[in-house]
Amino acid sequence: MSEHNQKNQMQGPIVVKSVVPKNRQDLIKWNGWGYNDSKFVIKEGPEIYFSGKRYPIGEQRLPHIYDWAKDVLNVDLATAKPKKIQGLPSEDLYPKPNITAENLDKISSLGISYSTKVIDRLIRAHGQTLHEIYTLQNSTFTRIPDIVLWPTSHNDVVKIVSLSNESDIVVIPFGGGTAVSGAPECPHNESRTIISLDTSQMNKILWLDKENLIGCFESGIVGQDLERELKQLGYTTGHEPDSYEFSSLGGWVATRASGMKKNVYGNIEDLLVHVKMVTARGTLEKNCQVPRLSCGPDFNHVVLGSEGSLGVITEVILKIRPLPQCKKYGSIVFPSFENGVEFMREVAKRRWQPASIRLMDNDQFKFALILKPESTYVALVLDSIKKFYITTIKGFDPDHMCVMTLLFEADEADVKINEKNLYNLSKRFGGYPAGEMNGERGYMLTFVIAYIRDLGLQYEVVAESFETSVPWDRAVTLARNVKFVITDECKTLGITHFLINCRVTQTYDSGCVIYFYLGFNHSGLGDPVVLHNRLETRARNEIVSCGGSISHHHGVGKLRQKWYPSTVSDVGVGLYLAAKKQLDPNNIFATNNLVPPSKL
Amino acid sequence: MSIVREYDNFLDLRRQETSNFLWISKRWDPKIAFRQGQSRPSPQFHKEAVLNSPKIQELIEQISSRSNISKSVLEHQVQDILDEIGYEKKFKIIRWLGLMLTKICLTVLSGIYINVEQVEQIKNQMGHCPVIFVPTHRSYGDFIMMSYITFQYDIEIPAIAAGMDFHGMWGMGTLLRDTGAFFMRRTYNDDHLYWTTFRQYVYQLVSKGDLPIEFFIEGTRSRSNKSLSPKYGLLTMVLKAFFFSQVPDIHFVPIGVSYDRILEENLFAFELLGVPKPKESTSGFFKSMKILKESFGNIYVHMDKPISVKQFFGNKVDRSVHNLGALHQQEVTDEEKKLLPSLAYEILNRQQKVLVTTVFNLVSLILNNNLVYEKDLLTLEELTKDVQWIRETVRFLGGFTHSTNIERSINDCFNTHKNLIRINRNKKIKIVSNKISHGEINHKKLKGHLLSDETMTYSVPFVTLQIYVNPVLHYFVDINIILVILSSKSMNEDELFENYHFLRSLFAREFITLAPKDKTVFNTALNNAISLNLVSLTNGSYQLENNEKLRYLIVNTFNAFYVSFLTTLIVLEGLPDVTDEKSILTNAQKLLENSIEKKKDIIHPYSLNLDTLGNCLNSLVDERIIQKTRRNNKTLYEIYRSKLMEIKEHFVRIIPKYYVEESCQITSNRLQNKL
Ligand SMILES: Cc1cc2nc3c(=O)[nH]c(=O)nc-3n(C[C@H](O)[C@H](O)[C@H](O)COP(=O)(O)OP(=O)(O)OC[C@H]3O[C@@H](n4cnc5c(N)ncnc54)[C@H](O)[C@@H]3O)c2cc1C
Repeated sequence: MSEHNQKNQMQGPIVVKSVVPKNRQDLIKWNGWGYNDSKFVIKEGPEIYFSGKRYPIGEQRLPHIYDWAKDVLNVDLATAKPKKIQGLPSEDLYPKPNITAENLDKISSLGISYSTKVIDRLIRAHGQTLHEIYTLQNSTFTRIPDIVLWPTSHNDVVKIVSLSNESDIVVIPFGGGTAVSGAPECPHNESRTIISLDTSQMNKILWLDKENLIGCFESGIVGQDLERELKQLGYTTGHEPDSYEFSSLGGWVATRASGMKKNVYGNIEDLLVHVKMVTARGTLEKNCQVPRLSCGPDFNHVVLGSEGSLGVITEVILKIRPLPQCKKYGSIVFPSFENGVEFMREVAKRRWQPASIRLMDNDQFKFALILKPESTYVALVLDSIKKFYITTIKGFDPDHMCVMTLLFEADEADVKINEKNLYNLSKRFGGYPAGEMNGERGYMLTFVIAYIRDLGLQYEVVAESFETSVPWDRAVTLARNVKFVITDECKTLGITHFLINCRVTQTYDSGCVIYFYLGFNHSGLGDPVVLHNRLETRARNEIVSCGGSISHHHGVGKLRQKWYPSTVSDVGVGLYLAAKKQLDPNNIFATNNLVPPSKL
Repeated sequence: MSIVREYDNFLDLRRQETSNFLWISKRWDPKIAFRQGQSRPSPQFHKEAVLNSPKIQELIEQISSRSNISKSVLEHQVQDILDEIGYEKKFKIIRWLGLMLTKICLTVLSGIYINVEQVEQIKNQMGHCPVIFVPTHRSYGDFIMMSYITFQYDIEIPAIAAGMDFHGMWGMGTLLRDTGAFFMRRTYNDDHLYWTTFRQYVYQLVSKGDLPIEFFIEGTRSRSNKSLSPKYGLLTMVLKAFFFSQVPDIHFVPIGVSYDRILEENLFAFELLGVPKPKESTSGFFKSMKILKESFGNIYVHMDKPISVKQFFGNKVDRSVHNLGALHQQEVTDEEKKLLPSLAYEILNRQQKVLVTTVFNLVSLILNNNLVYEKDLLTLEELTKDVQWIRETVRFLGGFTHSTNIERSINDCFNTHKNLIRINRNKKIKIVSNKISHGEINHKKLKGHLLSDETMTYSVPFVTLQIYVNPVLHYFVDINIILVILSSKSMNEDELFENYHFLRSLFAREFITLAPKDKTVFNTALNNAISLNLVSLTNGSYQLENNEKLRYLIVNTFNAFYVSFLTTLIVLEGLPDVTDEKSILTNAQKLLENSIEKKKDIIHPYSLNLDTLGNCLNSLVDERIIQKTRRNNKTLYEIYRSKLMEIKEHFVRIIPKYYVEESCQITSNRLQNKL
């Protein structure tokens, strides 16, 4: 901390009381997504609603889901019996921790909080992929951590890492456990002791530098805590991944996360000014907090995306912004997905993007209607929409039209200009403004959609999402081809009821991000995880063949290792391995992410 | 291929309905191949998209700055080119033509048979990726049949790649265009602007169009009624959209169209013998209208299961090689091009397999052998017996003949083909021959030798008959080769295969195959020959068995082809090291004409045909015995003499003796003097 701007800074760190307790299961599901009190519930009738008051959709009847589930997924929610899933695991469900008394002694002598209880270890053994959740609900993991440690500071981490390095103990950093790449999972055949290093108790705001608009945060702070605290001080980072309620700053850096509002605030790599990473060789850091540096290859980019395999991120300096004066939603309907994409491309060309601009395809658009808490039946809703749009907006076909959602964050005057520009421009692409409400609902649904998988899992329906980035000119064909391939593979696998839809979630100068949802009814077809893997593998192969990437923000983890070498070239793999060898000669960060173990 | 096949006669529907007009004016809401967003692309949309594509725009800029022509002039040129190429869709015309066609078909045809079940399946699968119809092309009828059938089954009428020779026909070009044809120039010049535009147009239709596309993989009508070696131009253009991931998959539908009687049979016979091809003109078309007063029997259309290129290529293609760089500046890679032959031959083989063998094909097979090689003419009863016999053999080898009553079908042949075969007063079956005398002929226009009136009079009917023999030959060719080799001596499997491989490679163009070395094809043929009692195995050695009747038929049927090949080798031997194509063909035909006249041996007049002689040359090129070059608009061949001698020696050693050699030596000597 430099002396002269100390007056700009707070007196000492802010100790943040996290929403998420140390005993995570007290607040959030141990075997599903999100808060314990928030879920889709079916009562007699059947009456379907979303429980809890955390989201605007809460405690309202959602009558359209019933017909939709029947039509699209062949699930009759009135008669089907929800599947029985395992209860909270008992102590004997998993083997005793694989740890010598000597090592346990050493660890306890560090004076850092720890636990060897099965429930604590299990909760930190996974992320949020279908495979992981399905395993939680139906079977057991082959390997879970042997002991959980809760360091509270950078120095704690240094101690843990050096002890581990000396004693040949494996360390897997754990943030919010929201990864969707298999990254937090333990390698199946790791015979050494595995520590799960839970960063959640290391979540202080160390300082803010208002002059330079930066702040230093411990890596365990989760998104909603960070934003709540900053908001009280009149600031925001503006980093808002859809998982931000639960994902951590360290996790964002380790996976190269991307926030919804990156157009205004930037992605994590744009926000990051400085980062400390504790490696087996010591701490990697810089001697300055400058806006840009020409000093050889940028090692921030070795840390970013390292997925826990090179060290533990402990402290991060991020840019902060004063809270925006005005926050406003908006939406535009387009006659077709292609029109919408063309419009987005033009917006990106002019760099007119508001904080967020997203385009749902027709199926998602329909799905959004399904989640409307209204009392008419689906058919009626669709029908009235049909009538409305066909009569009032000529040429809109309910089976092709799409909706775009917008979020503006800026000064009021700027928002006005931006809105006007966008709505005017959209006309050239057949667009038609469809109001603030639709926009707001769109963003709200993004959070709620994550909960719907847990409902499906009770009725032999599995669901997953995957994403990619792609050059503009290949976006539409990529989306189309992936849908084709999924449809084709479903046919091959005998899957008769499925959904595959997508939305464009981010725009850049030279391309965009496409985010797919896939769900299917697997009753009578065998292991759904195996089926899903086949589908997702074919989809990813197709994505890569169509000029798309291995991932825009979910990362590689273990799920996408197969495409890592071809993405970065053999030389690239060698470069990563060289860094790995240098920073972690004993492979104590044996996450097995990015590069398969055989190469290490 | 299952032997049980079901066909529906589509003309029955037309005969049963009270008004064809009602049918032709039915509501038109067809199944499209590849759904494209919310509104259907129009013909004009495609042209504009091509003109505005970065590919064409960049080319225009380049040419403009290089040659100082203004961009707007070039844009106009592209527009003109696109107007020359582009299809239209005029529904009134389609309906009107459909009605005319119905009237004509109802008078001249007894049936149009279609495997409806598969057609329905194809239709049900359509909508998600480009669908390419790839029919055999053995008559102009193919163009019409496909559109006619798709109309019947509510499948969108395809955009058909047609040659510019059609375009020239007054009225016809416009008619075809209005029903969905698009046109491709035949001359392969280096008009860069034209070809880039054309390629972009096809790319556009495949990736952004929603019509099925139809093209003929053999590039031209087969005059011989046999499959031709594939052409790769259009195939590459079509596949580009897949290689570039602009479409998720492409489905190729191989289609076999067979005719009881081919409209152009007479024309084809002349063309095969080398009479210059009359430019397709409308008066020619009206002549064909006259022909339409006659009977043409049945037409069979069999659509095979679609080939998904995605599945077919599997891991062999890595589309991500196109990920870096602007797509429009990329081309299909060499690796990708290498994959084309396997697909092309798969399509051709599937076409051959699904083609219906007509009763007249069998009749011709028997008659051809009888009329050329046997002393006694056949009676109808004898013919019927033989046809029934050979039908079983063909069925055994995978062929399918559609006839519920073979006697009646044979009888029908004498009506449908009364211009070709006839029963004389002694109840014997004869070939009909008409005196032919050609008037003034410009020698320069000939591809080969000007055959005498006598030769033509004698040959034309036999060549015409052979046209109907040809479609079944692919069932027999491998067995024939085995029989021919074993006729020279008995031998073990290795030696047999070695010789088989040698001959099969030489015939790889005439009886198309991509893999003359394929051991499984050989083994199948050998096993079939054993099952048919043609060959047997004792003590590790294969020898001929006693099914002599079938053996003679199979050996005789192919004689003409061996003779053509032998003659080609002899002629090449006598010619200078670098020789132009015309000299080779002229000498070969001359020599054969001579041999036919001398009558030392029975030389089948089909051996005179230029198609086979050309295939011989191409096979020799494939085998690197000769090398092809083009200079000053002439096709030249360089002859590698020692290799030629080697091959000829091997060839002569294993094939039957044909008496062309003696007479030829004189001929080729004399020729040499002249040259
Ligand atoms: C519903 C849902 C929505 C999502 N939306 C988004 C989105 O909008 N944008 C986005 O980018 N991602 C999104 N994700 C993915 C996920 O939230 C991100 O990858 C997130 O960055 C992971 O953070 P985490 O704290 O949960 O990390 P974890 O899941 O705990 O860990 C992820 C990886 O990072 C490593 N790691 C964690 N902390 C550290 C540390 N301090 N030091 C070193 N390594 C560490 C772990 O070892 C592991 O390998 C979403 C996921 C879900 C389930």
